Amino acid sequence: MRPVAIVGAGMIPFGRRDDDNLMDLLAYASLNALDDAGLGDKGVDSVYVANMGAGMLNHQMSVASALVDRLSLMPAAAEAIENGPASGASAIKNGLLAVASGYYDVVLVVGGEKMRDVSGWRATDFVASMTHPTAEYIYGITLPGMAGMFTRLYMEKYGVTREHLVQVAIKNQEMGALNPYAHVESRITHEGIVDSWHSRVNNPPVADPLHLYDVCPVSDGAAAVILAPLDMAKKFKKTPVVIAGFGQATDTHSLQERQDPTDLKAVTLASQQALAMAKLTPSDISVAELHDAFTILEIAESEHVGFFPKGQGAQAVIDGKTKLGGQIPINVSGGLKARGHPVGATGVAQVVDLVWQLRHELPEGRQVKNAQTGLSVNFGGFGNNVVSFVLRRGE
Amino acid sequence: MMKQQINIVAYQCKACGKVHFPFHDRCLSCKGREFDEIKPQGNAKLITFSQIFNLPWGFDNRFIFVGVAEFENGVKAMGQITANDPGELKLGMTVKPTWGVVRVIGGEDVYGLIYKPIQ
Repeated sequence: MRPVAIVGAGMIPFGRRDDDNLMDLLAYASLNALDDAGLGDKGVDSVYVANMGAGMLNHQMSVASALVDRLSLMPAAAEAIENGPASGASAIKNGLLAVASGYYDVVLVVGGEKMRDVSGWRATDFVASMTHPTAEYIYGITLPGMAGMFTRLYMEKYGVTREHLVQVAIKNQEMGALNPYAHVESRITHEGIVDSWHSRVNNPPVADPLHLYDVCPVSDGAAAVILAPLDMAKKFKKTPVVIAGFGQATDTHSLQERQDPTDLKAVTLASQQALAMAKLTPSDISVAELHDAFTILEIAESEHVGFFPKGQGAQAVIDGKTKLGGQIPINVSGGLKARGHPVGATGVAQVVDLVWQLRHELPEGRQVKNAQTGLSVNFGGFGNNVVSFVLRRGE
Repeated sequence: MMKQQINIVAYQCKACGKVHFPFHDRCLSCKGREFDEIKPQGNAKLITFSQIFNLPWGFDNRFIFVGVAEFENGVKAMGQITANDPGELKLGMTVKPTWGVVRVIGGEDVYGLIYKPIQ
């Protein structure tokens, strides 16, 4: 297996993009990545498209075949990868293996989702279709509902409070306000979402004990990367970012069948695999993008990855350890909470944000100083399929 | 109309005794492939719950309560909960399982577990 580098990265602003269809989103992000790599009018060997819901949300199938046509990339191999909200990282993993094996040299991986084509309750139902059809879905459980049940247990076991969750939301929206690609670009204050009389309107409960500002928005968006063998990386114009490690692990479909439902085993295993492959430990990581679809997940994942001992992730947020300039800056992009969560795009967007960090391309106020290593966690289902990457700045 | 019988089946591994719900083709513990079908027994203990406001397509309610409870014979199952306020519920409390309409899908009533808190 040969080392693989990310030699191009691109994204489009996330949000509500009424004038664009799914293929527009995928094409624009792909073109940004191709241009970033300096590929110009050259082709690629293979295309992996991460998408979760084109069939249900957009009434379109075979999106990878459609994309190579849009981009005039024929006769490149092309296929779509569906792995729930971890589709993005799964697609990168498949591209990585194809290049590492020596079979392909230049691969485009793009993730995208067009969720705002449907009403909020249709989008909620679409995401809920990941749950077990007869043991969970029929009851009206939603992913925020799953997270609410998880949060209640985490609060009970580890003493996490609503205040801890609020601080994650404030931090990530503060960073999102600086990110031109973020869906939510507004700052929030403690007064606005907790203390004031109007906070009950601004920030109502969504899935008790979680409130509106504990939950990521439903977004349209896309992000893309170009992969190539590290020994070819000097042919491209940007500083390469090496995929130093990856890991993937699964867990039970139903939350209730986990011996300890607060234990996100797949997060632990996937990140441990990625770190071991990179020969690094959590303390070696400069910057992390964790899957904060719900504020509680940023805290829980920061513990399961090993940045903090179990039960200490919440206090780390209060102490500023996860802010820019802190011990381990987490979700400097604003995370899913502010950047948004177009489900098929998220895992790719996390990696794109880390690539920009490791190339030292971001403006002051967003750039982690001298960042050399990054870690991502892309969380599928409710933790039943998790993919993690460790990236390293190349020479 | 409320049906009285709790119409779910759990699966106990014949080799190691582990109780599963829902069904798996291989035991989550020992990979065994043979199971005894068992019914949930008695009342249940509430493990966790959430009051959900943003409901999926197909619900007209303002909110529902959904939770997971463990029956006396070890079967753990999700169900709706009859409650109006989270303050009415506590982790570890006893709930009585009933069987009724939990959702309408494609115009058809879908039956499932509805837990009623026991004060």
